[in-house]
Amino acid sequence: MCSSEEASLLRLEEVFSAALAHINSLVLQPLLLTEPSDAWTRECLQLLQQLHQSSQRLWKVTEESRHSLRERLHHPDSVGLESLLLLHGAERVLQVHIEYIESYTNCMVARAFQGAAKQRSAHWRDQRKVLQQFLWAMGSVSLEGAVGPVLVQSLRQPLTHHVQQYVFLLLSLGDTIRENHPTRKLVVHAATLFGNLQSFMSQALDEAMATEALWPTLSSRLRDELCNPADRRLLQDSRDIPVTVSPLRADRVLLFRDSLVLLQGHHVHTFDLKLVWVDPGQDRDTLHVLTPEEEFSFCAKNPQGQVAWQRKVTQAVRQALCGKKDFPVMGADPEPPEPPACRCEAYTFQVEGRLCQATYEGEWCWGRPHGKGTLKWPDGRSHVGNFSQGLEHGFGICLVPQAAEDKFDCYKCHWREGSMCGYGICEYGTGDVYKGYFQEGLRHGFGVFESARTASQPCKYTGHWELGQRSGYGIGEDRDRGEHYIGMWQADQRHGLGVLVTQAGVCYQSCFQADKMVALSVPLCLFLLLLELLRPALSASPNPSPFPGSSVRPPRAQAGPCPPQFHLCPHRQLGLGAFPVESRWRGVYGPFWDFVQAGCPGDQQEALLGFHVQSSKELRKSQEYLCCERTPPEDSTDSIADLLEQLPQHREPGALQQYLKKALSNSLHPLGKLLRTLMLTFQATYSGVGANKHLQGLAQEEVKQHARELWAAYRGLLQVALQRRGQALEEDEDAETRDLQVHRLVLPLLLPSFYPELFTLYLLLHEREDSLYSQGITCLSLFPDTRLLEFLDVQKHLWPLKDLTLTTNQRDSLVRDKCFLSAIECLQKMITTVDPREKLEVLERTYREIEATVSRVLGQEHKLPMDDLLPLLIYVVSRARIQHLGAEIHLIRDMMDPTHTGGLYDFLLTALESCYEHIRKEDMQLHRVPSRWTAW
Amino acid sequence: MMAIRELKVCLLGDTGVGKSSIVCRFVQDHFDHNISPTIGASFMTKTVPCGNELHKFLIWDTAGQERFHSLAPMYYRGSAAAVIVYDITKQDSFHTLKKWVKELKEHGPENIVMAIAGNKCDLSDIREVPLKDAKEYAEFIGAIVVETSAKNAINIEELFQGISYKGLLARRPQLVALSLTMLCCCSLTNPSEVESRFLLHHLFSVCKIC
Ligand SMILES: Nc1nc2c(ncn2[C@@H]2O[C@H](COP(=O)(O)OP(=O)(O)O)[C@@H](O)[C@H]2O)c(=O)[nH]1
Ligand SMILES: [Mg+2]
Repeated sequence: MCSSEEASLLRLEEVFSAALAHINSLVLQPLLLTEPSDAWTRECLQLLQQLHQSSQRLWKVTEESRHSLRERLHHPDSVGLESLLLLHGAERVLQVHIEYIESYTNCMVARAFQGAAKQRSAHWRDQRKVLQQFLWAMGSVSLEGAVGPVLVQSLRQPLTHHVQQYVFLLLSLGDTIRENHPTRKLVVHAATLFGNLQSFMSQALDEAMATEALWPTLSSRLRDELCNPADRRLLQDSRDIPVTVSPLRADRVLLFRDSLVLLQGHHVHTFDLKLVWVDPGQDRDTLHVLTPEEEFSFCAKNPQGQVAWQRKVTQAVRQALCGKKDFPVMGADPEPPEPPACRCEAYTFQVEGRLCQATYEGEWCWGRPHGKGTLKWPDGRSHVGNFSQGLEHGFGICLVPQAAEDKFDCYKCHWREGSMCGYGICEYGTGDVYKGYFQEGLRHGFGVFESARTASQPCKYTGHWELGQRSGYGIGEDRDRGEHYIGMWQADQRHGLGVLVTQAGVCYQSCFQADKMVALSVPLCLFLLLLELLRPALSASPNPSPFPGSSVRPPRAQAGPCPPQFHLCPHRQLGLGAFPVESRWRGVYGPFWDFVQAGCPGDQQEALLGFHVQSSKELRKSQEYLCCERTPPEDSTDSIADLLEQLPQHREPGALQQYLKKALSNSLHPLGKLLRTLMLTFQATYSGVGANKHLQGLAQEEVKQHARELWAAYRGLLQVALQRRGQALEEDEDAETRDLQVHRLVLPLLLPSFYPELFTLYLLLHEREDSLYSQGITCLSLFPDTRLLEFLDVQKHLWPLKDLTLTTNQRDSLVRDKCFLSAIECLQKMITTVDPREKLEVLERTYREIEATVSRVLGQEHKLPMDDLLPLLIYVVSRARIQHLGAEIHLIRDMMDPTHTGGLYDFLLTALESCYEHIRKEDMQLHRVPSRWTAW
Repeated sequence: MMAIRELKVCLLGDTGVGKSSIVCRFVQDHFDHNISPTIGASFMTKTVPCGNELHKFLIWDTAGQERFHSLAPMYYRGSAAAVIVYDITKQDSFHTLKKWVKELKEHGPENIVMAIAGNKCDLSDIREVPLKDAKEYAEFIGAIVVETSAKNAINIEELFQGISYKGLLARRPQLVALSLTMLCCCSLTNPSEVESRFLLHHLFSVCKIC
């Protein structure tokens, strides 16, 4: 069954629909016929068109609603109450109404009706009667006077009446439905909505009227300036509730829906509400307003006035940020919701200064850029990244266009309070690149600068910087001259002790002052060069020894300070005393220790480790959409917090080794990053021209120092990790334990990273000995096994002849590489690893193989004395034919755990070395006494 | 736990004088339970107490053949002590010993403790080198001297003990007084002929150092 209210609703809709049709033909259509004569009328026409469209939509919805009501009345049993558009589509109906109100008030504020009506006043005079009749029919008091107000009234009156009736009928309809019925809820909901719409409409009309009334009080210039946009509404006027403004001066303050306007004489100061923050001041009589470039306070005459302004401004800001008016209208809540402090907006700075004319687009907080954002200057400069308190802070990419088109300086860096600080990569428009640390916008600490390949003087610098200049220990490579400078710098010049290596392999240490070598004249230079070239011939002097052929290794010369020293000794090492290894790469470790000492703060992780971004080329391409697309460390598993969490879980030797291995190979781990940087410095120093045998000592001590430093770095991280867990800190280990960890644990993990360059230096250093050794090997390889055993005076009873299943004749003549095969093959495995300890283990296994073979031959266990062992070992070594054995041996010895000194491994290595030396000299003996076996 | 001091000891001398035999005797006589790895008879270790320390001898054998002499410096570098062995029945071996001493003085590590062992003293009836000669020579160069027999285990322990004490004293002169009292106590409790001879010798050398 249908209630009478439904029938009334249907009638209501029918009447309203007819009224709308009437309005359309009587009012809107004629208004739209006006010919726009000036800008104002053109604008009026536009607003009227919008109103027309809104009214059409309103009419359509009404028709729809009418239809649903009729359906319901005709088939009350099959069609439920909820099928009414007013109930199930209440929001849509409401929306159309709000839209209509908006368009209507827009026209009202712009006085569009008056404007349009003026054009065809004759027409309206004729129509006046009809209109009045129409309004009278709608239940309105008739209007006398001008056409304008009549039109205004005719467009509003039917709507107000209609909504009023909606509410009334829906409420009565609700009463007819019993409690708890689901449709009752729907009805009540719709009634509430339309109730709210009533207050919304009246507020909108009030605001529109206030705005309309405002214009005549302003000068026409001000009016023209302020009347746009069309939906601007006055919310508060200091003429109604007076306020004084300071320190800015204003004789009138207008609060609009979208902006706050200060008027001072003819001067207008407009603030976009989206970038206005209201801070209720300390004292309750003032109200602080923050904007991107201004800060001022309002002071009302009394607390009520103060509260009114604060409430209005706060609400306006909030609604401006939402982009729509409140619905339902806010009541007089004691605590209205605050607008968010952090916002995302664009703004162009106007005030003179660094940011003048720059546009910031991004996150703001309390009047300042804060969070992620983009700053663009009109000259093409741009900065994308993190901001804090209005300054660049955190990761950022800055592009600075160069004079030449399409060329940019690109800074991908960490910033602190507006300047570069921490790790950064700068790719300059010229093609130069700097990768390293900054402080206060200048290169500072460790960094690598590489000029463009096309530069007139291509160069590369790897080392320390101070306030933008090369200063401290550093490597300078002059690509043109093929010169390599390793040493001290000051104020961008070579200054202090340095080692110079030339492409020709000449290497000397000298003192530099202001980029010039002191105490070394050019002729002397040439003379020394000559000496160096003649060195092989000169240095082949016999050494005195108690036994013929015995030699004593020359003690390694300590490099002293100036004047330049040249040495004819092939093993002479340069730079050893000059650049103390403890402080050589201080700048690499510095940022790490700063980080650890600060307790490893997560937000500084990137400043330490660097970051992953696209190349500058890609950046430039996508400059329009510059956004900080980089893998954020906090999302990956490598966040410093996780890392410190894991660190103390791997303390047992095996686990620790695994952990360190992983950490060192991961460039996002502080230890891995350190290693990466150290590899860079190592390659810069010792590869290319730097691969000079006189630098082996420098390189060798550097690698060991790195192992020590990395262990200390691990300990540093561990302390922070333990502190975070609230556990007791570790006591400092004693020197012995530390050395043990450094050599047993860290060095083997580290060595592979430095091995290529390091081994090359050893190769070069022992080149001559190794070539003699190779000759020796070649000579010995001509011998059949038995002949060689005989030649080496291996006692006959130890010969593994059972291994040879050949005739006696063949044994003497042909057989090669058959005896002690297992030992030989074992020894050959030595070059498959870089870990000195593993190499030594290979050596020990080789010995065990020899011992096993001998024991087998003798049929009993046999302990080999040196008299027997040495010849056998020489035999095995000569057959194993390991290349560059001298370099290998010396590398092992230098990198060996010092606790092995004098022990088993030392003994084995010495035995191997003595074999090597013997073979090296045996070569000469072979030439001296060839008759001994050729007679056979 | 007592501190362990490692002493690298290098064996020098002609082939056949009994170097390997001396070490085997020394190491194997008192077979201790913790067998440390060895390289046959070429590298062996043995730990003995000395004063309030433990001395771990790292004994490096060398090849005695003439052709390998030139390789010896690699073996004796970094040695705390060198045991130079001669055969009392072979004058030649004593001659070689002198050459070793000379080389060590010139090229060996500084402060190396030299110990001269006249081996095969069980064969004193066919002796060629008188004990007096050896003693005079040892005194002259400031070395420990003792006649040993690897075969009969005579003076082997004492040889190494001597090295221990001398090494200790040489490194730490401030311990001299302590050691002297200790030596005196030892001589009172164990007044064997060999022991006292050795102690006397030590007192001499200690006095020389001081
Ligand atoms: N009679 C006797 N013979 C000894 C003594 N020490 C070693 N020998 C023998 O001397 C020979 C050479 O000994 P060895 O230890 O191989 O001398 P090495 O070449 O110096 O190592 C072997 O036959 C031993 O048996 C000893 O004290 N007395
Ligand atoms: Mg031997």
